[in-house]
Amino acid sequence: MVLAALVATVSAQAPYERLLKADSEPQNWLTYAGSYKSHRYSALDQINRKNVSSLKLAWAYQIQRAGIVETSPLVVDGVMYMTEPPSTVTAIDVRSGRPIWTYSPNIPTDVIVIGSPPVNRGVAILDDMVYVGTVHGHLIALDSKSGVVRWDIAVGDNKSGYYLTLAPLALDGKIVVGVSGAETGIRGFIDAYDAKTGRLAWRTYTIPAPGEPGFETWGKGSGWQTGGGSTWLTGSFDPELNLLYWATGNPAPDWNADNRPGDNLYTDSVLAIDPANGKIKWHFQFTPEDVHDWDSNETMVLFEAQIGGRERKLLAQANRNGFYYVLDRATGEFLTGVPYAKQTWADGLDAKGRPMRKKGIAPSIEGTLVFPNIGGAANWFSPSYSPQTKLFYQAAREMGTVYFKGAADYKPGTAFTGGGGRHIQGDDASGAIRAFDATTGKMKWEFPLLSPGYTSLLSTAGGLVFGGSEEGNFFALDAETGKPLWDTQVGGAVRGIPMSYAVDGKQYVAIAAGFTLFVFSL
Amino acid sequence: MRLALCSSVLLTLALATPKPSAAQSATDVAEGKKLFGGLCVTCHGFDGAGGAGPPLNRPRLLSAPDDTALRAIIADGIPNKGMPRVRRVTDDEMRQLVAYVRSIGKVARTPVRGDAPRGGQLYAKLGCSGCHIINGAGGSLGPELTNIGVLRGPDYLRQAVLEPAARLPKDNLAIPARGYNEFLPVTVVLRDGAEVRGIRLNEDVFTIQLRDASGKFHSVRKSDAVAIRKETGASLMPSYANRLVGGEIDDLVAYLSRLGGAL
Repeated sequence: MVLAALVATVSAQAPYERLLKADSEPQNWLTYAGSYKSHRYSALDQINRKNVSSLKLAWAYQIQRAGIVETSPLVVDGVMYMTEPPSTVTAIDVRSGRPIWTYSPNIPTDVIVIGSPPVNRGVAILDDMVYVGTVHGHLIALDSKSGVVRWDIAVGDNKSGYYLTLAPLALDGKIVVGVSGAETGIRGFIDAYDAKTGRLAWRTYTIPAPGEPGFETWGKGSGWQTGGGSTWLTGSFDPELNLLYWATGNPAPDWNADNRPGDNLYTDSVLAIDPANGKIKWHFQFTPEDVHDWDSNETMVLFEAQIGGRERKLLAQANRNGFYYVLDRATGEFLTGVPYAKQTWADGLDAKGRPMRKKGIAPSIEGTLVFPNIGGAANWFSPSYSPQTKLFYQAAREMGTVYFKGAADYKPGTAFTGGGGRHIQGDDASGAIRAFDATTGKMKWEFPLLSPGYTSLLSTAGGLVFGGSEEGNFFALDAETGKPLWDTQVGGAVRGIPMSYAVDGKQYVAIAAGFTLFVFSL
Repeated sequence: MRLALCSSVLLTLALATPKPSAAQSATDVAEGKKLFGGLCVTCHGFDGAGGAGPPLNRPRLLSAPDDTALRAIIADGIPNKGMPRVRRVTDDEMRQLVAYVRSIGKVARTPVRGDAPRGGQLYAKLGCSGCHIINGAGGSLGPELTNIGVLRGPDYLRQAVLEPAARLPKDNLAIPARGYNEFLPVTVVLRDGAEVRGIRLNEDVFTIQLRDASGKFHSVRKSDAVAIRKETGASLMPSYANRLVGGEIDDLVAYLSRLGGAL
């Protein structure tokens, strides 16, 4: 009783009001992508074009269990919250680089993680709790000061293949998560939970049931029950329009559409959702009748620009399928769609943004070569948008895949993919970091990468774009020209997501690569 | 003692190829052949005769001494050796693939023509050990050939001798990474005009590492170069097409095909 009263009088560390105004405190990084607009942009400019060549290692933290680190750390008032594979959360004192607490859930040894490596992309913070999704399909709320469990609920049944890798998104009193598992034929959904209690507030399925709108796009069979439509990447939020934007993934089985003829709504789409009740206000589908596994789970950047003399509220995404899209985020109206990487599957997009598919691009028994590759021209790794340059920065993967079609037998919790692919890789593939005019998709510059990778980008007010490579390069480019200004070799593939923070008046840039989190400063 | 006898019998049974019913087996082999055609021939060649990857048409596979190991390789690949998991396969597909791979191991192969000992003499006369190591002896500029007879089939070896630039090795070395041409000739022109030509050892976005024909190592920052020419379609190994007549080529291939132990 006394303890409860004590807790009540202490003000919460990260209330919703702080998350709403995250841009106003660039020394902290309060949500997965920096703010709800998902710019992954830092307003800090202490590190800039003139001095970045002196950047050096400030400290490093090495993860406890080997695995791929895809974390986007948060920093709140001098404490960093990062995640390690598979689903561990560690709080670190950024002044010393020393861990303060760490929490690892009990993951059963027979956990089912089919469709991605067992990774985690970060936590959400709200008030005094930190929230993590796990590879065994749970959402766990931890006390932010101690890492002790406040509540732990199963979001989806891991025995059917549901699991979580994404950073949850904290809204006002709610924690929103999506699920992974289309490669095991799950029926995807987006969930919102009461942040304090873990009680389910609403669930929105991405695959309609009989009678629901969109069901007619699944043909006559039972394909909808194992339809996929995973929701495995953190969405974006516009508090003024009060719309939550969440992307969906591939239909199942990935490479064999025999039992799911039709557009397969709402796979490979963006859904604009009312955060109060989960209702879908509008949707846009990027890749109808997908047979290439081109999930639309890429970051959606919210920005404003003039189009036709009028200020518009926009949503941009460099989609897995090789096209860069700009939509009106109030209505879902398609405005622009242009290729940003080599693609050989569509003659373009029609006036409504629907792809005009070429013939002969479907997977086959003997294999069909198509660009982009299975992993896409882009994937989960973050783009960045700079309000300073008005450029959209994206790492592109230039690689084709020979796509195979195969049998697909559904058994809960087992691979239900119906084929696969062989990449045309090595010297026959490459990558690039590209800067587009955000409104038109017209490329302003590109910086070549040796290979297609999974590098996320961070742009800063110091006029820089930070990125990495599969070969372990971590570097800074001039945000206006793409000219490399600084680079270092960190010794492992850069799969982490960069962010920047400041403490005691000094700016830092953090990036996970290999088995280590590296933090750089002047 | 009884226990030991039982387990040795069991061990023998486990090592022997399992025998499903004849009808089921024939269908599995036929279906496995179709799957193999799509997923495996690119590297392992038609009928498993080998290509960029090892031949599979032998009774004993080094990395797959039993069917459990073979299933594991098909399911997960062999990390760092260039064998990927091509795609997930269903239980039926796995059984079919295993049945087919074992079936081609039982078919009597066309014996490699040529006189292996004469081939060994040719190898010495041509000076191949200037660039190749066999059982610890020789120069290290080119690929090691100690086990080449197990790793490659005779057709591949013939092409390597006659047209070495036609297909550079891939997926044999952990460095550079999977899919990259190994022993790729690269010419770098530095800002002062100096030229370095060598085989690429590794590369990243900002740097490239070469070894030239004299064995000297070069570490190059790409920003120090005015040109970097990757010579796909070239090889530092010369072609021996004009230095060997038909019978000699057969002998050399027969010698190389024996390297790596009894089949």
